[in-house]
Amino acid sequence: MAMVDVRNVTKVYRKDAEELVVLNGLSLQVEEGDYAALMGPSGSGKSTLLNLIAGIDKPTSGDVMVAGTNVAALGETELASFRSHNVGFIFQFYNLIPVLNATENVELPLLLTHLSKAERRERALTALKVVGLADRATHYPRQLSGGQEQRVAIARAIVTDPKVIVADEPTGDLDSKSATEILDLVGTLNKDFKKTIVMVTHDPRAAERARTQHHLEKGVLKD
Amino acid sequence: MKFLPYLLKHLRRNWFRTTLTVLAMALCIFLFCTLQSVLAQINLLLEGTSAKRLVTRNSVSIVFDVPLAYGPRIQSVPGVERVAISSWFGGSLPAKKEGKSEPDSSSSTTDWSNFFQNLAVEMEPFLAMYPEYQLPPEQYQALLADQRGCLIGRKLASKFGWKLGDSFFLESFIPPHRKPDGPFEFVVRGIFDTDPVKYSATDTNIMLFHFKYLYEATGRQLSAGTYYVEIKDPNQAGEVSAAIDRLFENSDAQTHTETEKAFQASFVAMAGNLALLLNGIGVAVTFTILLVVANTMSIAVRERRKEIGVLKTLGFTSAQVMGLVVAESLLIAAIGGGLGIAGSRGIMWLVTNTPGIKGALAGIGLSELTLQPLVALLGFAVAVFLGFAAGFVPALGAYRARITDMLRTV
Repeated sequence: MAMVDVRNVTKVYRKDAEELVVLNGLSLQVEEGDYAALMGPSGSGKSTLLNLIAGIDKPTSGDVMVAGTNVAALGETELASFRSHNVGFIFQFYNLIPVLNATENVELPLLLTHLSKAERRERALTALKVVGLADRATHYPRQLSGGQEQRVAIARAIVTDPKVIVADEPTGDLDSKSATEILDLVGTLNKDFKKTIVMVTHDPRAAERARTQHHLEKGVLKD
Repeated sequence: MKFLPYLLKHLRRNWFRTTLTVLAMALCIFLFCTLQSVLAQINLLLEGTSAKRLVTRNSVSIVFDVPLAYGPRIQSVPGVERVAISSWFGGSLPAKKEGKSEPDSSSSTTDWSNFFQNLAVEMEPFLAMYPEYQLPPEQYQALLADQRGCLIGRKLASKFGWKLGDSFFLESFIPPHRKPDGPFEFVVRGIFDTDPVKYSATDTNIMLFHFKYLYEATGRQLSAGTYYVEIKDPNQAGEVSAAIDRLFENSDAQTHTETEKAFQASFVAMAGNLALLLNGIGVAVTFTILLVVANTMSIAVRERRKEIGVLKTLGFTSAQVMGLVVAESLLIAAIGGGLGIAGSRGIMWLVTNTPGIKGALAGIGLSELTLQPLVALLGFAVAVFLGFAAGFVPALGAYRARITDMLRTV
């Protein structure tokens, strides 16, 4: 069964009288447990597509089915709830909260649950252990390297045990060594934890790790 | 509550900015509470007056006396029930001499630290027009029988630990009220109470003694400071006041007669329209602080646009994000408000316990200046309102912002 099923989606941005068609009747499926890479030149619409799958943007037309739910049809509150339970997002620039330490950053999505403080803490530490940063639990982002920050961000993305993990250029801001470590980790999430991964990337090395590659150009798939 | 650690961490994000904003809020609430307390105390003072009592004073100024001959003539005015002399003595306890536990009666140095209101009055008619002062009959008789006897309020008695029969000395700073041989000695012959429900505004922190004692001890040179006049019908206050003043309009010492409330209010009016002034200051400061806190929150939200985008991506709804922004603003306001209330309480304790200032306050009946619970509550409510109002607009911006726009912020 497809974990992600994008059906004839169009995304149009309007500014005054101008219209910019970013996605043009695009359809795409990502099977459950797949590791898919979205590639294409700048402006091809890959990040826009990723945002639609993650539920942080809505298409102008079409349906976006994620884990059996049409996220395009959900209201704002339902969508927020859907994201918190089903989607883990990894940003290019980590986007950790600077005033929170590693554990507190990972714990952030769990504040939306009914878990007790102790339970939230335990789950956060478990996620940090998975990404190999249990010894940095009390460190603040400013005390971590870029690669470590991204690993904390990954821990935050997986702490709610989401069905889908979306990653927007997760290695874009990292050196080669750190990038390799992150890609290894993402691979582990897919292989050992059976997570469905959808990743936008410019990096051919990152794309090689994916099982499926999709190429976008001017808002349409070129597969 | 689970978001409180998150909010506190954000307050620590920029210590300097948070501290300044909290202090600004504290200053606003401090001023509000202090000014409102002064107004509340003044209003309380005015409530302790009676519509049946008038005060006749020298029309030029309160500092000038009124001739003793005026008393019987005022008594003769239709509508007047009784008349009593009342002169503000201005006495203070003499300072203790070194090495002595009791004040030195021969000392000419006054102790301003324990100043209280003391009046020389014609005791019988004065007490007759003050049903607020409740006194057992035997104490009343003892008071009348002893020219050195004085009547003190329960609060004053408790403050100094005075009992019936105790004696103490007072020395006035007003030269005509001083004896050549030293301070005046008084003996406590009566301690009055008041009905706390019926006469809640009555001050029991005062002392009354016989005008005759003052008059004779100072060589029979004195005149009356004021005349207290009890009238039969409060509705006749205007007519009786005018009639009294007409009696003396061609005399050397012309009079001005007014209700007791107006008389008390005139002391306050020496500072201009005090209510308007104090409330005006309060409004101006409150509005300014609103702008300061709103600016702080706007900057905070602008700095954290990306963070707000991340929170929404993680599943926080727009309403929750808005709530976090407002909560942060409320937290700043609550901390500042608490500090302001504590500061107000502290400053009022300080002024009512600092010699000199305390004396001046006692002179105008404000020695009991204190922060009332209701004023403190109102002050906190103002802080909460300011916090909400200041945080609302930035919070609304965060509410409305699209996730993709916020994540794109550099």
